[in-house]
Formats: sequence, C-alpha cells, structure tokens
Amino acid sequence: MVEILNVSNLSTAFQSDYGSKQALKNISFKINEGEVLALVGESGSGKTVTSLSIMGLLPNNAYIQEGNINLIDKKNNQVNILKLTDDKHNLIRGNDISMVFQEPMTCLNPTMTIGDQIVEVILNHKKISKTKAVKEMIDLLGLVEIPDPTQRAREYPHQLSGGMRQRVMISIALACTPKLIIADEPTSALDVTIQAQLLQLLMKLKNSIVSKTSILFITHDLGIVRELADRVIVMYHGEIVEEGQVKEVFDNPKHSYTRNLIQSLPEFKLEERKLNKKDDNKPTKVDDNEIILKIENLFKEFPVEKGFFKESNETVKAVQNISLNVKKNEVLGLVGESGSGKSTLGKSIIKLLQPSRGQIYFNNENISEYSNKQMIKIRQKMQMIFQDPFASLNPRKNILDTLIEPILVHNLMKKNEAINYIKEIINDVGLPIESLRRFPHEFSGGQRQRIGIARALVLKPEFIVADEPVSALDVSIQAQVLNLLEKLKKTYNLTMIFISHDLSVIEFFCDKVAVMYLGHIVEIAPVSKLFNSPKHSYTRALLSAVPKVKGKDKEKILIKGDIPSPINPPSGCVFRTRCPNPGIDCKGGNIEMGLIEVEPGHWVDKCCVNCN
Amino acid sequence: MNFFIKKLLIVIPTLYIAWTVVFVTLNIIPGDPVNLMLGGRPASDEVRENVRKNLGLDKPVFERYTSFLINATKGDLGKSYLTRQPVTTMIKENMMPTIELSIGGLIFGVFFGVFFGIFAGTKPNSMRDTFSMIIALCGISLPSFWIGMMLIYIFGTTLGWVPIVGEGFVSLILPSITVGLFFAGGMARLTRSSLVDVLNQDYIRTARSKGISKYRIVLRHSLRNAMIPPVTLLGIQFGLLITGAVITEEVFARPGLGQLLLQAILAKDIPLVQALVVYMTAVYIFLNLIVDFTYGIIDPRIRLERNRG
Ligand SMILES: Nc1ncnc2c1ncn2[C@@H]1O[C@H](COP(=O)(O)OP(=O)(O)O)[C@@H](O)[C@H]1O
Ligand code: SF4
Ligand SMILES: [Mg+2]
Repeated sequence: MVEILNVSNLSTAFQSDYGSKQALKNISFKINEGEVLALVGESGSGKTVTSLSIMGLLPNNAYIQEGNINLIDKKNNQVNILKLTDDKHNLIRGNDISMVFQEPMTCLNPTMTIGDQIVEVILNHKKISKTKAVKEMIDLLGLVEIPDPTQRAREYPHQLSGGMRQRVMISIALACTPKLIIADEPTSALDVTIQAQLLQLLMKLKNSIVSKTSILFITHDLGIVRELADRVIVMYHGEIVEEGQVKEVFDNPKHSYTRNLIQSLPEFKLEERKLNKKDDNKPTKVDDNEIILKIENLFKEFPVEKGFFKESNETVKAVQNISLNVKKNEVLGLVGESGSGKSTLGKSIIKLLQPSRGQIYFNNENISEYSNKQMIKIRQKMQMIFQDPFASLNPRKNILDTLIEPILVHNLMKKNEAINYIKEIINDVGLPIESLRRFPHEFSGGQRQRIGIARALVLKPEFIVADEPVSALDVSIQAQVLNLLEKLKKTYNLTMIFISHDLSVIEFFCDKVAVMYLGHIVEIAPVSKLFNSPKHSYTRALLSAVPKVKGKDKEKILIKGDIPSPINPPSGCVFRTRCPNPGIDCKGGNIEMGLIEVEPGHWVDKCCVNCN
Repeated sequence: MNFFIKKLLIVIPTLYIAWTVVFVTLNIIPGDPVNLMLGGRPASDEVRENVRKNLGLDKPVFERYTSFLINATKGDLGKSYLTRQPVTTMIKENMMPTIELSIGGLIFGVFFGVFFGIFAGTKPNSMRDTFSMIIALCGISLPSFWIGMMLIYIFGTTLGWVPIVGEGFVSLILPSITVGLFFAGGMARLTRSSLVDVLNQDYIRTARSKGISKYRIVLRHSLRNAMIPPVTLLGIQFGLLITGAVITEEVFARPGLGQLLLQAILAKDIPLVQALVVYMTAVYIFLNLIVDFTYGIIDPRIRLERNRG
C-alpha cells in the first residue's frame, strides 16, 4: 500500500485574548493511495482544524506548534507541507490536494459564474488554453451530473440549489485529478435525499475516473462512515482516540468515547428497547378515545412577494389539505425534506401562523378562527420548542426572568411561589439551580435547548409542538436531550407533535409518523408500520436514503433532482416528478391526491396505493 | 415593474420634497427681500410696492410655492436681485470649473481611498494598516482649507512644482487633492473594513483552496464584493464633494459655483441661492440614482433580482 500523506505529531493552537488554546494535541495518522479515510468526532473536536492545517488555510490567529505533514505529490516527490512558503503551497492546493467545504450556501463566490470558478482552478494549474479549459469545465459539470452544463456554467451560485452548489464544489475539487480530496462535512447541511445523491456520486467518481485519489471524509454521521469509508479515525478533544478498519471499530470499539458515540445513536437505543421486553421506558398508554387535536383540511398559503407595485396572485403552497388526529399522550412525528412544510404546519396548528383555510379543534374547541387575544388563554395549553432556542431567548434577560415572565403574565402564581416552581422545572430539565441567574450566552447548545424546553413547560401545557429540537446538537447531546424529553413527556403528561428531518430520531421518539412532501401528507402510520412496511414511494425512498450503521447494505432507492418549487407544484401526485418508479397513471398528473386507510391506522395517498 | 422606472418614480417625489425644504427655509429667513433687493437704499412705499409686485411677493404663500415648483421644473428660477441676469445664465457660466474640480476630486479621492483601503485591508492589524488608517483619519479630520493652504505653501510656493493660479489641467491638481483628500479618508476606511470582512468569507477560503495567488484573490474575488459599501458612501458623499468644492474654490481663488454661492449668500441674493440649492439637490439626487444603478453591475444577485421584479 502506498502512503500518500503522513501527518506526524501535529499540534495546532489558537491565540486568543485569554491566552492560547490547543486545538490539536500531537496527532499522527496516514492516508494510503486510493483509500477513503473517515474522520469522526463531535463539533469542536478538531476535525476542521486538522483539514485546514493540511491545506495551509488556518485562520490568522492559529499557528502550528510542531509536527510534520509529508505528502507524496503528483511528481512522486516527498514534500513537507508545513515547510512550504505560501507561494509553493499554492502549487499544491487545488492540484495535489483539494477540498470540499461544508457550507454550500456560502462557499462559492456570489459575483462569479460557476463556470468561471471552475475554469479558474484549471487554468491555475494546467498549462492549457482558455478554450480547452472551458471544454474541460463543461465535461466536469457533466461528470458531477449537473443537467444542461452549458447553460448552468453561465449561472451564478445563488441560482443553484444547495445540492447543485455542492456538485460544483466537487467538480472544482476534481478538476486537477488530485492525490487527495478533503471533504469537510460536505453533506451535513443538506437533506438526506440530496445527501444520498451526492454520496453516491462521490463513490461513483471515486471508483471510476479518480480511482487513485484518496478521500479524507470528515463527518459526524457514523452511518456515512459505515457506508463509505475503508478506515476511520475518531477524534475527541483534539486527540485521536481510536483508529482502525471501519468494521473493526464499529463492532468492537476500544475507547469509551467511541463506545458511547455508537451507543448513543437512536438506532441503537431502539435496538436496546426492542431487546428489553419488559421495557418500562415506553409505557405511553395512548388513550384511544380521547382526541386532543383534530385537524381538518388545513391549508396555509403565502402570497409571493413580487415587488413594490405589482400584486402577485401566485402563492407558496406550504400546507395543502392536511387532516390528522392526535390522541392524548401520543407523539406524532412529522418528517420530510426541508421545504416540505413541516414547520409551517406546526406553527399553523398552534396559530403562530394564521391558517388560510381549514379547521383546528383543540380539546373539541374549534380554534381556527380565534383571534390572538382569544388564543392567549389557549396558548397556556399549547407551547412550542424551537430548533435554535438561542434565537428565541432574550439575551439581556437572565434565565429566571425569562422563565418567570409567562407565569406572571398569565397570573398563575404569586412571585415567590413561581420562583420555587421554576426551580423545580429547571431541576427537571437537568440544569443546576445556579443557571437561573445566568444569561443565555453562558450556556452550551445542549443546555440552551434544555432552557427552551423549560420555557415551554412553565405554563404546564398539555400539548407541545417541538420543531427540530435536537437537530442542531451533536449526536451524544442529542441522545441526552431526547431522553430528557421522553422523561418529561411522562411526568408532565404531554401530547406532542415532533418535527424532524432525521428519521432515526423520529423512529426513536414517536408513536405515529406523518411523512410530508411539498405541503401534503403522503403517508401516516404507527412508527413500526411505517418503518417496516412503508407504502408510499416517497417514504420508501426517504427511508432508504438514510445511512445506517447497522444492517446490510441494501440497494438504495435514489430520488432524482431537487424538491420542486411550492409555487407551482406538480399536478396530481406532487412527488411524480422525482418518483423513482411512477405508475403509468401517475405520469399524466391527473390523479387526485388524498389519504385512504389501508390498514387500521395506516393511511397512504390513494394514487400511490393504486399504482403499487 | 422595470427597476429603472421604479427608481425614477421614487426620485421625482424626493426632488419635490427637497425643493419644498429649500422654499420653506428661504422663506423663513428673517429680513424683507425687498430691503435686500434695494440694497438698503431708501425708497418710497410706492417703489417698494412695485418691487414687491415684480418679484411676485404680493401673492399668497401657497401660490408662490406652486409657481416656484412649476418654474423649478421648467428650469426657470428667476433673476438675480443683484445683477438682474437670469440665474440660470449665471449658473451656466460658473458651472464648468466646479464640474472639473469635482471630477478631479472624485478621481483623486477614489483612487487614493481605494488604494489605501486595499493596502490596509489585505493585512489587518499590521503596521501598514495602522499607518494607512492614520493617514485616512487625517484626511477626514483636517479641514479642507488648511490642507489647501498647506499644499499651496509646500508645492506651490516653496517647491514651485505646480502653479497656484492659472488655467488648464495643471492648476487643477492641488485643488483636486484638497477636495479629494476628504473623500479619500472615508473611502479608505470603508474599503478597508469591507475588504477585511470579505476576506473572511467562506468563498475566499474556497478560492485559496484552489491555490490561487493572493493578488488574484484580492483583485478577482474580493474587490467586487468589497466595493458595495464604498460605492454607497460615494453616493452619500457627493454632497460633501460639493461643499468641499465651495471651500476649495475660495482657498484657491478659483471661479465656480462655490464662489457664486458664497457671494450670493453674503449678498443675500435669494433667487440665486435658491437656484443654486435647487440645482445642487437635483444633481445630488441624480448622482445617487447612478450609484443605485451601479450596484447591479457589481452584484449579479441584485441585477437578476431586478430583471425578475
Ligand atoms: N477561529 C478560531 N479561533 C479560536 N478557536 C477556534 C477557531 N476555530 C476553531 N477553534 C477551536 O478549535 C477546536 C477544534 O475546532 P474544529 O476543528 O472546528 O472542530 P470540528 O471541525 O471537529 O467541529 C475547538 O475547540 C474550537 O473552539
Ligand atoms: S402516486 Fe405514482 S408518482 Fe406518486 S409517488 Fe406514488 S408511484 Fe410515484
Ligand atoms: Mg468542522
């Protein structure tokens, strides 16, 4: 095996006003020719700093304390990257080593066409004419499967979807057939369906035109590691704590951090739960008779802004004809790609948005036409938890003031009574009493989410809409917060709608799942039914897109392209433009949508039932 | 709706509001215009009444206001109290030197401002950054007349490199520097901060990951994005350019609108002052319109947004 990159005893630190802080502590590893090496670890563990050290792109306040990074370049010379001047390093960047970054939205220059941005790197390293470079660029766009490359080459980044932009980044990285591509969380910001497309593309390219190129794949998603990588390195607090062949590490993790990481995956939790027969972890006795929330034919449409003078009669069809029931003590999961209308539905239900049409019954009371004033009383009983609690916490108020405010507004208790009550809640969400005197910025992401939960709980609600409450958190923290929510669900007797794009989280946490696509619910079923025998084509594709740590590698069902615009959704079945295997009747687009019950509690869109 | 038409539709009310302000302020200035017009000479009530009629001052305020707006739109702004010439003629005669000076100042200011901005912004918190920003601060805080006099003293009198008075291109150099320095200071500071900001963007990191030289990164990837705030400043500071020109013309004893305005104010020649301000506001608003249009050239996102809108 030929070794192409050798990192030895690398230590990197950041200089700050408070002194220096070590980000990498004496790490060593190597990458062989043609292999895919995964680098995993939670955020802040030093993954990005490692890649930037190799690229020579560390920010100004960072410096390398010691170590060597040796590369065998294209001419088969060994070079110590850390000893190079910036100009010499430029000969290597983009040529021998290239990089794909995490942020597809911001990592391309907004003022240059994507064609120019690709041509630039080609001309920078190859001695060929402009016309030839343009030809190569078009070929590259074709390789990364961007439709209509000649047209796309003339467009600017903001005209492309996130997935498309990431394809452009990949084509830039491939342009000079490098020895090594570093991909730093290239799909973390994208939907699972788009992620699956990109990962498949990457592996296809890896196995064809750039078979000798190695990939250093940085991710926090163990499922991806399992699917793509040959070897894996686990980082924790700037150190490498484990290294080995993927299968070895997953089946038999040596370091306690790795073990924890694997065991905190919702997938494993679920397994544990299944094994544990007399599991008292999930005694949520759903009361079949008591329907707490009932929604009938709900629509929410937003007018399209069309400038100052012109009124537009186009609308964004965010929520389309949705009907559902939630029973007491039940958790209903809402899942779907971003842009499918999950949050809009959640907000419309508790009337943070006024629905366009349709009925909402809460405890048999029709609240759909209630004014904000009438809703005040109801809001006590209906609360919301947001993805980013920081954004919704007032930075100038300490936690006590934040939590006590709603109680005093609703006049539920006297002030000192309220303080004692809040102390109980803050204890329930697993934070120390001292937290009450502190301010939002003093907390970590996981702690802030606990505060967000506490705030939703202070009014003793019956019903909570939780919108992606753990999506911004690291896997291990995610598990803690999910456990907390599960515990609180019982102690506070809660009914919930739980929104997430992460299917494994949904599977772990919910009793019933509704799958949304372009504003419609296409399938709704009890968790085990949905995950074991999905009926709708979209559900199947979505489930198959999720990289799994356990289980056999099944053939993926790939969804093509991006989610269409909700301004002009396809007629008939909204999924038909991306459906992997549409029925003959579907293609015409004249079958009406609507759910029918195929088994007790399992509802599927009727056109899909007919064609499958 | 076409972006251009939309902008123009906003410009028109802006112009009328500006002119209304001009009209109101000049009408609440204490002092009887007739007295000013007569230049303090004694006159009988009958003569006064005639003058009043001639100037249209006998009409009610509202009527005077509307006819002022109508005339301003037509470009007819009456006659000077003092010279009895139509003010438009006087303005036309004095226009060229000021335009020359403004353009000179603009070119000088933009050139040095952008230069020092890049010089400082590409290496923040270094010696050269500090040095450039001190110079920029001097440009902003030192009064134009002082700079002008120093320039005359050093380059004109002592070194004798450039003529202080006279005509033609050479005589424009020192006044342009005087006007431009003020401009350059603000441009430099804004270009710097905007460039520092842009250089920290993700797409610059991407560009660096391609192995592109640092010159190309600044010129090709950063400047265009970094120039949006300075171009805005340019629009706002046209007013200062005019003020700068007024003072500079005085210091260098150059003819021009500045001199004219100064004389008109000292002589309380209200129609002339009024006309000058009306023109200047119109020019100012027009130049800002041009700045608005240039955003689209700089940033394709704005351009495409407009074409769709
Ligand atoms: N620009 C910076 N200034 C100071 N510290 C930083 C900076 N970037 C990263 N760090 C620190 O370096 C450590 C490693 O960060 P990073 O490599 O970004 O982690 P990861 O990519 O694994 O999420 C963290 O402690 C982080 O706080
Ligand atoms: S109805 Fe037809 S097009 Fe729609 S998802 Fe089902 S099979 Fe695909
Ligand atoms: Mg990172």
